[in-house]
Amino acid sequence: MAANFWNSSHYKQLFDQEEVDVVHPLDKDKGITLEDFKLIKMHMVIPICKLAQQVKVRQRVVATAVTYMRRLYTRKSMSEYDPRLVAPTCLYLASKAEESTVQARLLVYCIKKMYSDDKYRYEIKDILEMEMKILEALNYYLVVFHPYRSLPQFLQDAGMNDISMTQLTWGLVNDTYRMDLILIHPPHLIALACIYTASVYREKDKTAWFEELRVDMNVVKNIAMEILDFYESHRLITDERINTAFNKLKP
Amino acid sequence: MSENNVEKKVADRYLKREILGEGTYGVVYKAIDTTTGQTVAIKKIRLGKQKEGVNFTALREIKLLKEVKDPNIIELIDAFPHKGNLHLVFEFMETDLEAVIRDPNIFLSPGDIKSYFQMTLKGLAVCHKKWVLHRDMKPNNLLIGSNGQLKLADFGLARIFGSPGRKFTHQVFARWYRAPELLFGAKLYGAGVDVWAAGCIFAELLNRRPFLQVLHFCDCLQNLNSIQCLTSVLRLTLELEVKGANSNNDQGGDSDIDQLGKIFQKLGTPTLSQWPDLEWLPDFVEYSSQTAQPWRKLCPTASDDALDLLSKMFTYDPKSRISVQQALEHRYFTSVPLPTDPAKLPRPAPKRESHNPRTSDLHEGPTVLSPKRKARRVMPDREVFDGNAFQVDKIDQQGGEIRWAAGDNTSKNEQVPMSVDFSIFGAKPMSRPTINR
Repeated sequence: MAANFWNSSHYKQLFDQEEVDVVHPLDKDKGITLEDFKLIKMHMVIPICKLAQQVKVRQRVVATAVTYMRRLYTRKSMSEYDPRLVAPTCLYLASKAEESTVQARLLVYCIKKMYSDDKYRYEIKDILEMEMKILEALNYYLVVFHPYRSLPQFLQDAGMNDISMTQLTWGLVNDTYRMDLILIHPPHLIALACIYTASVYREKDKTAWFEELRVDMNVVKNIAMEILDFYESHRLITDERINTAFNKLKP
Repeated sequence: MSENNVEKKVADRYLKREILGEGTYGVVYKAIDTTTGQTVAIKKIRLGKQKEGVNFTALREIKLLKEVKDPNIIELIDAFPHKGNLHLVFEFMETDLEAVIRDPNIFLSPGDIKSYFQMTLKGLAVCHKKWVLHRDMKPNNLLIGSNGQLKLADFGLARIFGSPGRKFTHQVFARWYRAPELLFGAKLYGAGVDVWAAGCIFAELLNRRPFLQVLHFCDCLQNLNSIQCLTSVLRLTLELEVKGANSNNDQGGDSDIDQLGKIFQKLGTPTLSQWPDLEWLPDFVEYSSQTAQPWRKLCPTASDDALDLLSKMFTYDPKSRISVQQALEHRYFTSVPLPTDPAKLPRPAPKRESHNPRTSDLHEGPTVLSPKRKARRVMPDREVFDGNAFQVDKIDQQGGEIRWAAGDNTSKNEQVPMSVDFSIFGAKPMSRPTINR
């Protein structure tokens, strides 16, 4: 998608970190902490990805779905909008918005195949109802920009467009959706941060190339730091910790 | 926001009025926005029977209209769910460009045409600047407000473009407005398709009839009245017999081939030097060579500047076709006569709530509330609904009479004495082909 980011609703809707890190009062009442909140959002990316693989949609659709989900939770509570239903519904809505429609029937079939857990047993009716609620909560803004588009151009310009570098940075971009970065930063800066992280990791000195870019390198480095922090802390997260967070959501 | 809040909204904010028509995905009705006092048109999106949630076409429209705001593009004022259906609130538009073109009581001066066309291009330029292809440009998707402002509407086929290598369907646009690359099956295309359609609209404004109109036998029958019937049917039967075309299939390749034939008959068969990529197009077939007719003959009333612009919009090679922005900078728009101030543009006389209660009492029974023409705008498959051609004519003529009577109130609509020509092209709107959604 090549539409102009700077005129888009996406640009106008970028948040500050402090705005994103607000636990909804209803969730707070249930004892959900900021850490729980982030953990649940991070964890819900996994079922979206798995489901996307099952129904065979592009990575873009996954990215848009995760963005919808994260935007939703800046406004709505997890108590009212159950993440287990929100996740597949966001994928459903994103598949339409990104012009690769998946049938609700197929999604429900795949969900049932994937989980034996009753908590994930939602019917078509539930998804369609939630779709309407999500649309409304998003205020009908559906166009989202992603780092994927600028990534290959940057890599080529930096002379790093070999397969291994492309794969590494692409994977890094995928992982950024475990965080709220897409709500806070313009996508091209996220792409640059991934390239920066990858170049440091592969010990390729690209300082000169970055200096020539007219971007605020402080922002890029901050994003890169956040990505590194994520990988650092990710290893320490146990299933038990995630379950505790989810259990708090029980009515 | 709780469900209750939402439920109240339609009753609280919008006062429902009469139904304007039935669209492809639901009913459109008129309403008053009580918070602003504004008249609005509300599209109720029926949730599909196929259990596929919010209609895909409606979703496209919402998605793109939320991104594009401009005086020459229809405004999506609000959207809300009500009783399980999604409702889209648009500004209310009085009429559309097709109604203007078809109204035999309206005389369009060169300045009027320039003004209407300039607004069309301005709206389109905004879309293209935002990398949005409209893909359904035609006169009845160009709505006209009470202040004469023309706005692009119906973004149900619109798409974001510009990603390299992204393939799109070529089954877009009503057939008469379809660019040759689409007719040849191109799946990689760009803004040029909208430019071609805009060119068709320009020529239609100038000639007061669709420029690249291909009539099929069933279309023809429907649009004949008893006077013309005999001669026309005979002539058309012969024409169609000769071509061996008995197809009435809008989707079929036959129609596309006929449409290309029509284009080449007027503009000449494209040569490889004019359009080098031509032979690589998926559905390319060779046509017997025809020479282009002079533009002067195709649009006899147009100025030299207008003809120059037309020829640039109808350039075969999409790569060399003029862009919308370039078209707006063409000298046609800066030379005299200057575009008419939109507020002073001639428009069809109001059909309902006319200032003349007598006429409405006389002719409008309870069922005529929604005018035939308006209903048709949102009901593309006219043929399907109007079984009887002659009956349709009657209604249309009746509508015409009402407009005549009410027309006394509008200053610019000087009544042009009906000539034979006008009665042929004006009074009975042709059913236009649309693509199936």
